[in-house]
Amino acid sequence: MNNQQSNANLNPALVQLTDVFKTFNAGTVNEVRPMQGVNLTITEGSFVIVLGGNGSGKSTLLNAIAGSFMIDTGKIALNGEDVTQWPEHKRATLIGRVFQNPFSGTAPSMSILDNFSLAAKRGKFRGLSWAHSSNLQDELKDRVSELKMGLENRLDTAIGSLSGGQRQALTLLMATWLKPKLLLLDEHTAALDPKSADQVIALTEQIISKEKLTTLMVTHSMQQAINLGDRIIMMHKGNMLHDVNAHEKQRLRIDDLLSRFENVRRRELLDESVADLLRLRYI
Amino acid sequence: MTLLIGALTLGIILSLLALGVYISYRIFDIADITVDGSITFGAAVSSVLLVQMGVHPLWATLAGFLAGAIAGTVSGILQTHFKINPLLSGILVMTGLYSVNLHVMGRSNIPFLGTVTLSTYCEKIGNIVFGGNEILLMGWTVSTTDLMTLILMFLLVSSISLVLWLFFHTDLGTAMRASGDNPQMIRALGGNVEYYKIFGLALSNGLVGLAGALWAQYQNFADVQMGIGMVVWGLASVIIGEALAGTASVGTAIIGTIIGSILFRQLVAIALSFGLNPNDLKLITALFVFAALILPNMLSKLSVGKRKVAL
Repeated sequence: MNNQQSNANLNPALVQLTDVFKTFNAGTVNEVRPMQGVNLTITEGSFVIVLGGNGSGKSTLLNAIAGSFMIDTGKIALNGEDVTQWPEHKRATLIGRVFQNPFSGTAPSMSILDNFSLAAKRGKFRGLSWAHSSNLQDELKDRVSELKMGLENRLDTAIGSLSGGQRQALTLLMATWLKPKLLLLDEHTAALDPKSADQVIALTEQIISKEKLTTLMVTHSMQQAINLGDRIIMMHKGNMLHDVNAHEKQRLRIDDLLSRFENVRRRELLDESVADLLRLRYI
Repeated sequence: MTLLIGALTLGIILSLLALGVYISYRIFDIADITVDGSITFGAAVSSVLLVQMGVHPLWATLAGFLAGAIAGTVSGILQTHFKINPLLSGILVMTGLYSVNLHVMGRSNIPFLGTVTLSTYCEKIGNIVFGGNEILLMGWTVSTTDLMTLILMFLLVSSISLVLWLFFHTDLGTAMRASGDNPQMIRALGGNVEYYKIFGLALSNGLVGLAGALWAQYQNFADVQMGIGMVVWGLASVIIGEALAGTASVGTAIIGTIIGSILFRQLVAIALSFGLNPNDLKLITALFVFAALILPNMLSKLSVGKRKVAL
C-alpha cells in the first residue's frame, strides 16, 4: 500500500472515479447493477489489468470512463478535469479505444487509408481539408509495414475484407495514432484465434512501452493478467474485490489469482459446478 | 427527339433528387421520406420568389436549396435530439410540410406565365449560341431552348457532383461516411454522429429542394402535389445506378446514381409513349423498387439451393 501511495505522489492521477453507481433497466426484471460505488485511481503511466467474471462490471467500467453511457451518481475525472457530463465524442480527445469485437473499431466498407485518416483526427476539428494527405499516406505505409502483415500495399482495400486479427492490429494502431492520454482495451483479443491473439498482444506491449501509455485493459485471460501490466484489479458484482499493486504483482502466479476467485466462491456459497465453470473459464 | 431531350433533361434535373436520396439512404442508411415534402418545399419557395417577388432566378433557385436544407435539418433534429425513429421523423416533417407548402404558395398550383425563370435564360443563351430558335441535330429539328437547357443542366449537375465527390473526401466528409458505416467507431474517434447526421440530412434535402426548384422552372409551374412518391423515384435511381456502376467508391456511386436517374426517366418516357396509363406510374415505380430490393436476396438463396443440389 505504501508503495502505491508513494507512486501516486510521484505521478498525478490520470483517471479518478469517485463513488460511481450505475443501474441498467432500473425497476424491471432485467435490472443490472454493474457499478456499485466504484472508486478507482489510476496514475499516469501505469498499465492496469481488469479481471472479473461475466457480469462483474469490468467492461462497464471501461465504457463508463469512455462515456458510452452517463453514470447515475458519482464523479469521473480525466487528466484533472471533471468529465462526468462530457459526451463520448468529447472524451475521445483524451482516450483511444480498442473493442472486443473486431468489427466495432473500424468502418468496414471504407478503405484502410480512410480509416486512418479518421484516426489521425481523433478528437480534433474536422474541416474541409483533404483527408488523404500525402504525409498521412507516407507515415501510414511505414507504420503498417512494421506490422509485417503485408497490408502496406493494400491501403485502398476495404477494411471489412481483412481478418479479425488484422483488423484488431489496425484498430490498435488507429487508437494510438495520436498519442492518447488513456488507452482502453476491452478484451481486444477475446474474439481472435490464439495465434492472432498472441500477435496482437505482442503489438499491444510494444506500443504501450514505446509510447509510455497509461492503459486500462480488460481481459479474460489469467496468463495475460500475469504477464502484462503493473497492477491488477479484480471486479465482482459491480465492486472492486482486489487491487494488486506492482510490488505484489511481481510475485503473483496464476494459482494465487485462482485462489482469490476461490475465496469469492466460498463467500458467495457457490456450488462446485460453478467453481468448475470459473476454472474452465480462467485457466 | 424533343421527347428524348425532354426526358433526358428531366432525368438530369431529378438526378439531384437521386443524389440527395443516395446521401440519406446509402451514406447514412436512413430511408428519409422528408424528400417528398422537401422537393415541393424547394419548388414552392422558389416559385413564390419568382412569380410574386420578382427575385432573380439564380437567387430563387438557391433559395430552393436552402428551403430543402431547412426541412432536412428539422428531420435531423427530430431523429437525433428527440430520438424519434428516422422513418417517423420523415413522415412527420413531410406531413407538416404539406400545409407549409400550401401556405407558402397560397394555393395549390402556381403557373410561371410570363415570369423570368432559368428557362428564360436558357432560351436567350440558346438563341445566341446556336443563332436561332431551332437547329438541325442528327436530322431532327430541335428547339435551341431545349438543347441549351439540357446542356446547362448537365453542366450544373456535373459540377455539383464534383463538389460532392470532393466534399466526401475531406476530413468532415470522410467522418460523415464513417458515421453511417460504423457510428460506434467514429464516436470513439471523437466524431459527433448526431451533428453529422443533421448536416447530412440538410445536405441531402438541400439537393432535393434544388431539384424541386429546377423542376418547377423547367415545367413552368409548381404544384403542391409534385412531391408525392418522389423518394421512391430517388430510390429507384440509386438502385439502378448501383446495379450498373457498383458501389466500390463514392465516385462510382455518384456517377451511377446520375446514370440511374437518367435511365429511369428514359424508361418511364418510353413506357408512357407506348400507352402506359400515367395513373399507374407510381404503382409501377413502387413495384420496381420492391423487386430491386428483394432480388439480390432471392438470387443468393437460389444459388445456395443449387449448391445444395450439387452436393
